[in-house]
Amino acid sequence: MNTAVVVLHRVRASSLIDAFGLLLLAAVLLFLLLKFFEDPVRFLNVGIIGMTNGAVYGLVALGYTLVYGILQLINFAHGDVFALSGLVASTMIISVLDIGTDASVLFIIVGLLVTLAVTVPLFAVINATIERVAYKPLRAAPRLAALITAVGMSFIVQNVSLAIYGVDFESVPPFIPRTAAIEIGGVVIQWNKLAIFMIVIPVLIVLTWFVRSTRQGKAMRAVAQDQEASAMMGIDVNRTISVTFFLAGSLAAVAGLVYLLQFNIRYDTGFELGLIAFTAAVLGGIGNLTGAVLGAMLIGMVQAFNEGLDGTPGGDWTRSIVFGILIAVLVFRPQGILGERTPEGA
Amino acid sequence: MATPVDNLLVADKVRKEFGGLVATDDVDFTIPRGSIVALIGPNGAGKTTFFNQITGVYVPTSGSIVFDGTEVVGKPPHAIVELGVGRTFQNIRLFAQMTAIENVLVGMHCRLKGGIIGSVVGRPRVRREEKAARERARELLRYCGLPRRHEEYAGTLPYGDQRRLEVARALATDPKLLLLDEPTAGMNPQETAAFTDFVRRMRDELDLTVLLIEHDMKVVMGVSERITVLEYGEKIAEGSPAAVQADERVIEAYLGRGAAA
Amino acid sequence: MSEAFGNFATRVRSDRGWWVAIAAIALALIYPFIVETLQDLPLVGDFVPRTGSMVVMLVFTMMAVGLNVVVGYAGLLDLGYVAFYAAGAYVAGWFASLQFAQVSFHFGSSVSNEQPGIHISMWLVLLLAGAFTLIVGILIGLPTLRLRGDYLAIVTLGFGEIIPQVVRNADEEGIGFDLTNGTFGIAPIDSVAIGDFIFRAEPNKDDLHYWTAIGLLLFTVFCCVRLRDSRLGRAWIAIREDETAAAAMGVPLMRTKTWSYAIGAFFGGVAGAFYASYKAGAFPADFFFNISIFLLCMVILGGIGSIWGVILGGMILGYLNIEGLATIGSKVQDAGVEFDPTKYQFGIYGAIIVTMMLFRPTGLIPERRHKIELEEGVHDTPFYDVQTEGSLTDRNPSDE
Repeated sequence: MNTAVVVLHRVRASSLIDAFGLLLLAAVLLFLLLKFFEDPVRFLNVGIIGMTNGAVYGLVALGYTLVYGILQLINFAHGDVFALSGLVASTMIISVLDIGTDASVLFIIVGLLVTLAVTVPLFAVINATIERVAYKPLRAAPRLAALITAVGMSFIVQNVSLAIYGVDFESVPPFIPRTAAIEIGGVVIQWNKLAIFMIVIPVLIVLTWFVRSTRQGKAMRAVAQDQEASAMMGIDVNRTISVTFFLAGSLAAVAGLVYLLQFNIRYDTGFELGLIAFTAAVLGGIGNLTGAVLGAMLIGMVQAFNEGLDGTPGGDWTRSIVFGILIAVLVFRPQGILGERTPEGA
Repeated sequence: MATPVDNLLVADKVRKEFGGLVATDDVDFTIPRGSIVALIGPNGAGKTTFFNQITGVYVPTSGSIVFDGTEVVGKPPHAIVELGVGRTFQNIRLFAQMTAIENVLVGMHCRLKGGIIGSVVGRPRVRREEKAARERARELLRYCGLPRRHEEYAGTLPYGDQRRLEVARALATDPKLLLLDEPTAGMNPQETAAFTDFVRRMRDELDLTVLLIEHDMKVVMGVSERITVLEYGEKIAEGSPAAVQADERVIEAYLGRGAAA
Repeated sequence: MSEAFGNFATRVRSDRGWWVAIAAIALALIYPFIVETLQDLPLVGDFVPRTGSMVVMLVFTMMAVGLNVVVGYAGLLDLGYVAFYAAGAYVAGWFASLQFAQVSFHFGSSVSNEQPGIHISMWLVLLLAGAFTLIVGILIGLPTLRLRGDYLAIVTLGFGEIIPQVVRNADEEGIGFDLTNGTFGIAPIDSVAIGDFIFRAEPNKDDLHYWTAIGLLLFTVFCCVRLRDSRLGRAWIAIREDETAAAAMGVPLMRTKTWSYAIGAFFGGVAGAFYASYKAGAFPADFFFNISIFLLCMVILGGIGSIWGVILGGMILGYLNIEGLATIGSKVQDAGVEFDPTKYQFGIYGAIIVTMMLFRPTGLIPERRHKIELEEGVHDTPFYDVQTEGSLTDRNPSDE
């Protein structure tokens, strides 16, 4: 009798919640399946839009997940750093390099590389500086203190963008054509979307190599697991954390440029995008790099389906849906898709 | 004819796994009502983990723990406190930014009834309850050897007083079973001897049952009526102090360097 | 109840601060009569806020005191407090306006019985708003308060974003029923009134609303002080200090945390409803994420966990927001510098947050408990460890 009560206790709370979550998921998947069979070409085109957006979100999500993995800190300012980098990239492209729609392919490619050569180191340093100035002094403080500071920092960065660029949206001329690069039976991948993948995929490959194979990368993983033990093994924890922020800042800069190729940016773009990217990181499993990209793809597609298909709540409700996903993940499955339920500790 | 033993706590095949690590390995454990029982073992043997499963901080992977006739596995920690289990911590976990008397009052939380509306409007019943609670808290502090420390912040107290305050706070929960996790760590021999007497006094005067984790063999041998020995999460011996002292496995595990009994 | 106040007075009277408080309240009460004199003072006169501005400052300060219950007492980071503010405002919109013109229900209201819609006495509506928001707080809290600190913050942020978006879209088009009148908001909302004496119709309506706001703030402070010193208040501080130890001493974590949320929400709802009545409308444009941070900044600037600190922080930042920055801006522009501080106000609040957290995390007027850290210093070698649990959430499968 006692064991039955025990079993019931354990089954009751967690399983019911999980069951509800699974039911919700099944309903959504069923809906999507229906939509696919209704109009496969449209479904796939919308899906491609989703994946392209997802690629951008992924870069930003990686920044969040890297920092969270190593410091257990949600760096609120990350989205705003991303936005500022996009704004600076727009200045580079329009005012400094003057890449127009009539530019040659070579000039475009070189121009983009030059832009990156400027924004990537710049924002790597900016990001690392933010860490040194605002987060490092609070490493011993309760975790919420650093979080509150990150929120404050987010507003500061946003207002810097505001001061420099005002409330206007910045965009670049469509020098990458929107014509179809690949077309299979009505399903189209345009050049400007292909360009995004051509930038993002190499970045991901380099990042993976860096984290897996280099000494710094291993140091990062070690510090993420156990700061004290890493320090005792001779790893310079401060430097490793700085490197992580350098990396995150670099990713933000690349994301800023890539985002600019598709959309326009303004000083407060970072807030919403930051939250979308963070949701993606949590969905995929916070601290897990592959998870961040996977989560970003999923969120990108959810957003695209919501805005591009019929019978969905529509663009007005995108924010609510994304937040709903965030809340749902944290309540039903906080370790995300690829994360592991961490043991309670001995 | 022997009277059946009334066991306050019956733990049956309790098992706790953390991933691949087995911290508690199918342990059977009983605590007779009114006794003082000790749980010993080398570091990492799983003693605190076992404590934590009794108090609901960890949920056993399998097995059952019955306290005073009620199954405790799966209950949240505060519910177990309400049933009558109080504890102290190995690393003192006082509320540093609360005064000594406030710490004790928190211990009484589940025994008091004062509600929100009652507290805000100042219902006479609530005010009387608070007054009585403060009186009892002062009594407990006196009893535990802290007669003049009421309004001092717990974080500013000297080490020995902090340990005493932890006990007072645990007693405030009005327990039937008191779990003491290495209560004499860091104490000098005189303090340790005093504390050992104190444990006995508590059991006798307050009608308690005591389970203690200890490393100091003088305390263990001096005050416990029964000792259980854990090693790598497994129970390797159990019995009277004399029997355990003589047990080969125990000696092998760790008693070799203990103080001479 | 008078005995309660007597005891409250006795307990506080031992504090020197009691006399300061009496003086401050007396000054506050006569403010509408002296404000014009003050505004004529040389140099500082331009910075003296109008009575109408004071009303807004008091409303936000009241919300900050409510937020302080969640963040300061229980130690839970709530980044979505604006949701409670919005909920309160819309309750006022539902029960004291023409919104639901399909029915006609009057109760204790000064509005003539010919007007359609639900019109309940504003005083009652304030209570209703608080009660409704309290329930919303409990509902939000139930699934989310089991989460660990930083995740809780994000989720509250999420709710703080969802609710304004819901409010913006909950009209005929959005959900098929006009709940909130969408982007147009609900207006006009009835005024506070005593019998036929309608506050908003009076020439000195700012003064009347000002005194009402003072009353509401005092009520909020009274409740919070009583709660802080009660059994529940002790439980909150214990949870804030060391959750695991608190649970081990019999404090039910979920229930206690939810109460802090609910009570904080209550005051947010009352403030929101009152403000909507003062402004005569509830508009979606008034509710956005940044407000939650604005309120948080008040708490941090003033002193986390310290009521008087939060009041100070609230009044300062409320003043900057409603008048101060604009006044400073015009002075700066008069001096020839092209700089508009109101544009960057959230950057300023962000800077205040970062500066305070780095240099004076306990705030301008630290909570009594934090003071001992400042005065006596923190021990170098901690006598105890506070162990952080390893799991992502504190969710215990058996937790209530």
